[in-house]
Amino acid sequence: MAFLKLENVSVGYHKNEFVVKDLTLDVERGEFVSLLGPSGCGKTTTLRVIAGFLRVQRGRIVINGKVYNNIPPNKRNIGFVFQNYALFPHLNVFENVAFGLKIRRFPKDVIKKKVSEVLEFVGLKGFEERLPSQLSGGQQQRVAIARAIVVKPDLLLMDEPLSNLDAKLRIEMRAELRRMQKELGITTVYVTHDQAEALSLSDRVAVMNRGRIEQFDTPENLFLNPKTLFVARFVGFQDFVEGEVVDAEIDLITVRVGNTTLKARSMDRSSLGMKVILVARPKNFEILESRSTNSLKGEIVSKIFQGDNILYVIKVPDVGYLKVEIPVENAKWREKEVVFLRVDPENCLAFSKEE
Amino acid sequence: MSGKIFVYIMLAIAIIFLIGPFIIIFAASFSESEVLSFPPKGFTLHWFKKVITMPMFIRSFETSLWLAVLASLLALLLGIPVAYVLARFDFPGKRFVEILTTLPVIIPQMVAGLALLRIFIIMGIFSIRTTLLIGHTAIVLPFAVRIISSSILNLPHSIEEAAISLGASRFRVFVNVVLPNITVGIISAFILTFITSFNNVPISLFLTGPGISTLPIVMMTYMEYYYDPSIAALATLLILITLGVVLTMQKLLGVSKMI
Amino acid sequence: MARVHGKKYVLLLLPTLVFLGVFFLVPLLMVVIDSICGSGGEGILFNYFVFFKDHVSRTAYLRSIRIGLWVTGLSAIISYPTALAIASINNKTLKTVFMTLMVLPLMTNPVARTFAWLAVLGRYGLLNNLLLSAKIIEEPVRMLYTEGAVLIGLLQLFMPMMILSISSALENIPEDLSLAARSLGASGFQTFVRVTFPLSVEGLITGGTLVFTGSITAYVTPAILGGSRVLMLSTLLYQKAAVVLDWDMATTIAVMMFLTTLLINTGLRSIGKVGRR
Repeated sequence: MAFLKLENVSVGYHKNEFVVKDLTLDVERGEFVSLLGPSGCGKTTTLRVIAGFLRVQRGRIVINGKVYNNIPPNKRNIGFVFQNYALFPHLNVFENVAFGLKIRRFPKDVIKKKVSEVLEFVGLKGFEERLPSQLSGGQQQRVAIARAIVVKPDLLLMDEPLSNLDAKLRIEMRAELRRMQKELGITTVYVTHDQAEALSLSDRVAVMNRGRIEQFDTPENLFLNPKTLFVARFVGFQDFVEGEVVDAEIDLITVRVGNTTLKARSMDRSSLGMKVILVARPKNFEILESRSTNSLKGEIVSKIFQGDNILYVIKVPDVGYLKVEIPVENAKWREKEVVFLRVDPENCLAFSKEE
Repeated sequence: MSGKIFVYIMLAIAIIFLIGPFIIIFAASFSESEVLSFPPKGFTLHWFKKVITMPMFIRSFETSLWLAVLASLLALLLGIPVAYVLARFDFPGKRFVEILTTLPVIIPQMVAGLALLRIFIIMGIFSIRTTLLIGHTAIVLPFAVRIISSSILNLPHSIEEAAISLGASRFRVFVNVVLPNITVGIISAFILTFITSFNNVPISLFLTGPGISTLPIVMMTYMEYYYDPSIAALATLLILITLGVVLTMQKLLGVSKMI
Repeated sequence: MARVHGKKYVLLLLPTLVFLGVFFLVPLLMVVIDSICGSGGEGILFNYFVFFKDHVSRTAYLRSIRIGLWVTGLSAIISYPTALAIASINNKTLKTVFMTLMVLPLMTNPVARTFAWLAVLGRYGLLNNLLLSAKIIEEPVRMLYTEGAVLIGLLQLFMPMMILSISSALENIPEDLSLAARSLGASGFQTFVRVTFPLSVEGLITGGTLVFTGSITAYVTPAILGGSRVLMLSTLLYQKAAVVLDWDMATTIAVMMFLTTLLINTGLRSIGKVGRR
């Protein structure tokens, strides 16, 4: 049975205006699950509901078989790491980390031992006396984590903990977080808007949009087989063209685009006559000199140097401007040249167009 | 740029106009003449000695002192919970509470003093002492609420939530996490309310009577009959004390606290 | 802002609500109703007729409003350039010093502050001494107990509020705005008129309401510098309440004081709102 279950949970700040709608989620013991989505999608609200900072209007929260709906937040034994760390400014590192232990009335010597151990675990041995104002962002982050895990919570919740760090530090901390979570084996729910972060840290990711979960799957599946247009766009697929289905086999459909037809993988069983949107990753496009299967004719409008690759903007008549990334070694075309843009049907996904 | 010179001249004029009187009081308090005059004639500390030893000044000073301390403490006691609720929560009727707590500032103090006099003292419900305390507390309460509210707003709510997630009860959160971080605000509030109460005239005007009077009222009464530099000496002392308190407060807190 | 979970928080508000409600609001309401209805059974608003009919109270009322407007106007004229000067000081310490000098008077005893004017305007005070020694006059001039004296006293009392209010509005104007105006060709004067001033009007309005309200309701200054020769609303109120013991009239005056300040404040605020497009 899942360790954490959200069953048909609906949450709103005002009457009948739900921020989270009928959400169902299962998290296994020891699993690292991310809630991924744009701002306003309800991911933080969901997290705060699990923590007990918000009340559930409908549905249930079940942890380890017990219904938690009416249990006040300070009795839930759930660790929470905030985006701005929320360290107590008037207490030093030791006292911050010891806070939860003091409340649980552990004897002084036990507290001392536990705090030392956890500080060493997060790599902050020797920082006991320092005040939060004397710590860097990354260090504050580790104290926040240490403080949350030292009390051995049943569940660890993290609200965009890395978003206030600079890019390099963020990547370093990602690895650290993964290591810590695996070592402790603690069930973790992580909120982020950064797709790369979610995909690299998690066992499973729930992509959220407007209060609902669009897809809850492993990172690989999300990346390769997004189930909805929203998820596809979120994991890096770019809108390609629109067209009408003229032939449909089990997975592969043929789509009329302008004067040609393209083959693509249908992700949601689009049938004959339906309008679909085709998406693909910029780096899955090929530029060819002559017409080939599954290609569109276009003219190169600009060529932009991006370091490892070149970004080509290609104007395709009746379609628009498409962006394509080609590794520098292969990027021999110049502006104003007429080329053919090709994408393999395997890499081209089709989604029904919503009216 | 003549514009710049103009404004700086105005600044100088303003400073002279505002601060000049203090210097005049200061100088006049040393004058030997029996009548208040400026420039002062001679130099003496006689007036200072006089005011420090006159019973009526001493008694009213004590009254003003305990009144200011009690009113401030009471205002803090009542005001801190209100400030917390107003700063952290939204609820139906919040506007009403906000207006009620600002009321004593909107209503002219003389009006309030009159009302308290008529209803409580004349109808014999409370003693003069009690009514004075009620009046002063009511007047300074809005200041306490405002300063402490702003202090609490400066403390991110997530810090309290962190404490809750670690197991602390709401009460514990308030005592162990909120209070230590708003100490500065509480002290500023206390000092402001203390000074406001001590210097108050309009409320005290109606609520003082035989045997009990506050220092400002006594000073005014004295001025009606005597025209000597005693008041100057007293005023100088009070101003020096106020100056000391304000400067110390600034050293501790910085001028970020704007009234 | 969190939503309230349950009604427990009402408990925290209760003491203050009870305190202010019972000990402050109720007496006020009782007294106001009394003045409207008249305790002698003369009928509703009788007292207010008397207030406007009686020469003394009418004069005091109009005088209060008149002086209030003068003080507000003069303080605006003097305070604005002063606030500009302070805002343009770049040295942080110097700016703090000036701001403190402005705040200081507000913390001192109004009795002491007003008293100083006795030393300046009195028979043997600074001004008379100067004029006498400069042989401009031959005998000390009576300067106290005139409207002018009250005006000066009130001006000194309330100017700091106006300065602080305008200063704070000026501080809130981003520096870049005047630089942008200059880069678009505006002269210093034009920048002031078109950019700085309009954005600081709110400070003027706030300050204005504070000063006007203060001037109408102040007691100490009119009492000491005006005495019974220059009766204002506040000194009249005290007279009726504490000397003559005419409660009805006293309360009526009090209510008039309150209504007038309320009206002017609302009026000034709405000017501020209209001015903001």
